[in-house]
Amino acid sequence: MSDLTTALARAGLLTVEQRQHWRMAWLSTVDHKRIGILYMVTALAFFVLGGVEALLIRLQLAVPNNTLLHPDTYNMLFTMHGTTMIFLVAMPALFGIANYIVPMQIGGRDMAFPRLNAFGFWLVPFGGILLHFSYLAGGAPAVGWFAYAPLSETPYASQLGVDYWVLALLVLGIGSVGTSINLIVTVLTQRAPNMTLRRLPLFSWMIFVNSFLVILALPVLNAGLVMLLIDRQLSTNFFLPPGGGSAIMWQHIFWAFGHPEVYIVAIPAFGILSEVIPVFSRKPIFGYEFVAGSTVAIAFLSLLVWAHHMFTVGLGRTVDLFFVASSMLIAIPTGVKVLNWSATMVGGRLRMTTPMLFCVAALVQFLCGGVTGISHAIAALDWQTKNSYYLVAHFHFVFVGLIVFAILGAIHYWFPKMSGRMLSERIGKWTFWLMTIGFNLTFIIQHFLGLAGMPRRVYTYPVLPGWAWMNMASTVGAFFMAAAGLLLVWNLAVSLVRGKPAGDNPWNAWTLEWASTSPPPHENFHELPPLRSRRPLWDAANPDRPDPMVGTKWKAETFVPEKNKASVITFIISEVGFFGVLILAYLYYNATPRPGPSAHDLDLFKTGIFSLCLFASSFTIWRSETNLEKGHHRPMIAWLAATILLGGVFIVGQGLEYWHLLQSGVSVSSNLFATTFFTLTGFHGLHVCVGLVALLIVLGFAVARDFKQNHSASLYAVGLYWHFVDAVWVFVLSVVYILPHFR
Amino acid sequence: MTTTQFLISGWTWNAADVLLAVASLVVYVTLFGVHRRIGYFAAALGVFLLTQLSPLNTLADGYLFSAHMAQHILLLLIVPALLLLSLPRSVSLAVRPRPLGQPFLGWSAGVGAMWFWHMPAFCNAAVSSRPIHALQTASLLVLGCLFWRQILAPSEQERLSPPGAVIYLFSACVACSVLGIVLTLSPVAVCSIYTMPAQDPFGMLRTIREGWGLTPDRDQQIGGLLMWVPMCLIYLSAIFAQIGRWFAEPAEPAAVKLS
Repeated sequence: MSDLTTALARAGLLTVEQRQHWRMAWLSTVDHKRIGILYMVTALAFFVLGGVEALLIRLQLAVPNNTLLHPDTYNMLFTMHGTTMIFLVAMPALFGIANYIVPMQIGGRDMAFPRLNAFGFWLVPFGGILLHFSYLAGGAPAVGWFAYAPLSETPYASQLGVDYWVLALLVLGIGSVGTSINLIVTVLTQRAPNMTLRRLPLFSWMIFVNSFLVILALPVLNAGLVMLLIDRQLSTNFFLPPGGGSAIMWQHIFWAFGHPEVYIVAIPAFGILSEVIPVFSRKPIFGYEFVAGSTVAIAFLSLLVWAHHMFTVGLGRTVDLFFVASSMLIAIPTGVKVLNWSATMVGGRLRMTTPMLFCVAALVQFLCGGVTGISHAIAALDWQTKNSYYLVAHFHFVFVGLIVFAILGAIHYWFPKMSGRMLSERIGKWTFWLMTIGFNLTFIIQHFLGLAGMPRRVYTYPVLPGWAWMNMASTVGAFFMAAAGLLLVWNLAVSLVRGKPAGDNPWNAWTLEWASTSPPPHENFHELPPLRSRRPLWDAANPDRPDPMVGTKWKAETFVPEKNKASVITFIISEVGFFGVLILAYLYYNATPRPGPSAHDLDLFKTGIFSLCLFASSFTIWRSETNLEKGHHRPMIAWLAATILLGGVFIVGQGLEYWHLLQSGVSVSSNLFATTFFTLTGFHGLHVCVGLVALLIVLGFAVARDFKQNHSASLYAVGLYWHFVDAVWVFVLSVVYILPHFR
Repeated sequence: MTTTQFLISGWTWNAADVLLAVASLVVYVTLFGVHRRIGYFAAALGVFLLTQLSPLNTLADGYLFSAHMAQHILLLLIVPALLLLSLPRSVSLAVRPRPLGQPFLGWSAGVGAMWFWHMPAFCNAAVSSRPIHALQTASLLVLGCLFWRQILAPSEQERLSPPGAVIYLFSACVACSVLGIVLTLSPVAVCSIYTMPAQDPFGMLRTIREGWGLTPDRDQQIGGLLMWVPMCLIYLSAIFAQIGRWFAEPAEPAAVKLS
């Protein structure tokens, strides 16, 4: 035995015991199931934290003229509560469930990129710690979860809290984009044979669609965040009107992300409802096609209608009108979805277990939240209720009433699969009723508080008719929810140790994850049942009356792309959003000439020459790829080296331009031209540098002759990225250098 | 002139457009007979004549950027789509040589038509010069047909597969929305000729500015918003149709033996 240990140690391998030690098994795991659980445990920890913050808020508001919390502390608490619940609870929890369930539902072995997956997860605790570290660094941000400028700018928030907030959100945003890219590529490339796109279970389908929403929306926020950070750290004026900037621009950028964000957390919740409700109604979902298709429509519409968050800003009646109409439209696909779920239950043999209870409650509460949502789409009504507790009640009905309830349903539904043990149904029902009563007590009453005129984000209120008892009732409700949270943790802990063994398929469900053992083996499946419809386990159990077969008439639905290429293309889509915002910001801020440096101080001739180098490098990398295809090793390396050289020349050229500008006294804070110029070209330069590093790594592989089987795909992937970087420069060059000469 | 008077007298008589419409109807009937899809063709002609003869055209002709935008959207997205829908299934629109039939070119035609004609110089020129205006109208119809060919070509083989079509339409919508957002939020006039109409043949300027409350700023905003929101709904409807096409499948008999 000790011989074996020393032999393994000499080879740099681990023994079985070392592998099973929790540090190796959990902290360095790349298994999607364990990462999924890590996500969920992290989300649960932050849920407790965000919940405690909420309880403190409710305690402060329980009675009028309360002095429990200092006003500044109160502001920090509601900011941190909102940020935590959205970025550190809802998103990680849903990513965790997706991480665990999606590869299993599609009959896959793991995610497409297990290490990217681990990276995406570890950014969550990192971002969370970064955010909460602000408490120690002079105070947490106290500017609300949407950090409206100019309140979030240095003159009004001089502490470091907002900077930590920005950095944390950037870290979390990058992690979310990475995980979403991974989920998209996983669904596209890791499906079992015969698991065509039209046979995907609805949860996986919705996660797939939703991941596109993440990669389109998050980069917009990231662009806004870096602009805010540059404002704060380099004294520029993106969002500061006195310096020529625009505070409204921050709102546009934030809500261009913020509105889709609502759907980013809601669509996976829809997915959960679409899995749980049919199973416990013993019927297939009513109208799979509509539920699947309308998800695409909802995702698409959500990207367009952000301005309805800004009715009270004063965009003008014209703008309001368009967004009233388009926001109302969202109610149609969403409303029909509610009908789909209801119709699934009609005539079914309902089994009111805990997961089903949570999902039915989520459905009812979402309907309420949706109706108040429609009332907010009416601008005239919105003017009265915006920034009142009516709004607070509305979005809590969506975020808690739908999303948290759906997540709780999912936990109760999939816990047996993950742990191999059943949760206690008795404690589960207690959890459910405490949660439902507490939630509705807390938030129904807030509608009336809002209509009675109570504004949100006030740390206390005077004695006014009805306000005191309504606030007290709301606080009592919050403690009911806290009790439910404690029961949930207790249930999870006890059942993990003493729960009834679950068996493979305790709910008689129909999707592939239930075809594996509970908990599933490391490799997920030993064998898969035949796949020909959307409910393979139903077909297997009822061979005499299987579901109608879902055909494979489209090539696109069995198409499996190469995974490196697919990941780079999805990454490029997300980068388009980031650069799109920066380029639009450049155009916006330079629409009218400003005093100080301008585009005419730039040297178009020199930059033109260096740009030619960059464009030439697109050609050289293409030559390198064709040589790789033909198996010509040396020319391939030569062209690759030429690419790196040309890219390097371009970067040196950019450096020279920066040097000359700085020498002549033009710095990033000179005026908004300089700010937008350095921001846009700087981020492009950064991407070129990243591309160069990637190319150098590929070159290293190529020189080491490690290319034949393993890494040839990486050249194509990096090549695509490199073309993208060049394409961005075409736009930057035209907008920044050439366009001003035509005015 | 009041609004009502304008709606009555704002119609223009353009013999060339009417002749074109009649001639194309004759050609359609000669080629395909009175086909059951002729309704689409009639609708296409109707919308086309509406954009050319109705008060909308008068407004777009120097008064209102937003009216121009409505005209632009109808000519680029509605008329060509109806035209393609009116063709019988047997017609092939295959383009030779083959590379010219690439989806990317169709996409660029649709998106490029939007961006190109809203560059300040071209936008102004199309209003002030008759020949350029005619060129603009013709190019919108042709580019619109190139764009929709990928989605609505009469023969199934020449269309994109539904997932590809969704990506095609979605990205086209985003590319046009971005222009709409630019127009809506732009602090400067994009098509400056509309801010100071050179002539006022109908005496409508006062009604428009004061009666309708359409200042040049607000006019441009509406133009941008038309492109940002309602135009996207056209793409969205097409996306819905594509998803419907994807999922539409006669259910195969359940009696198929499991393999």
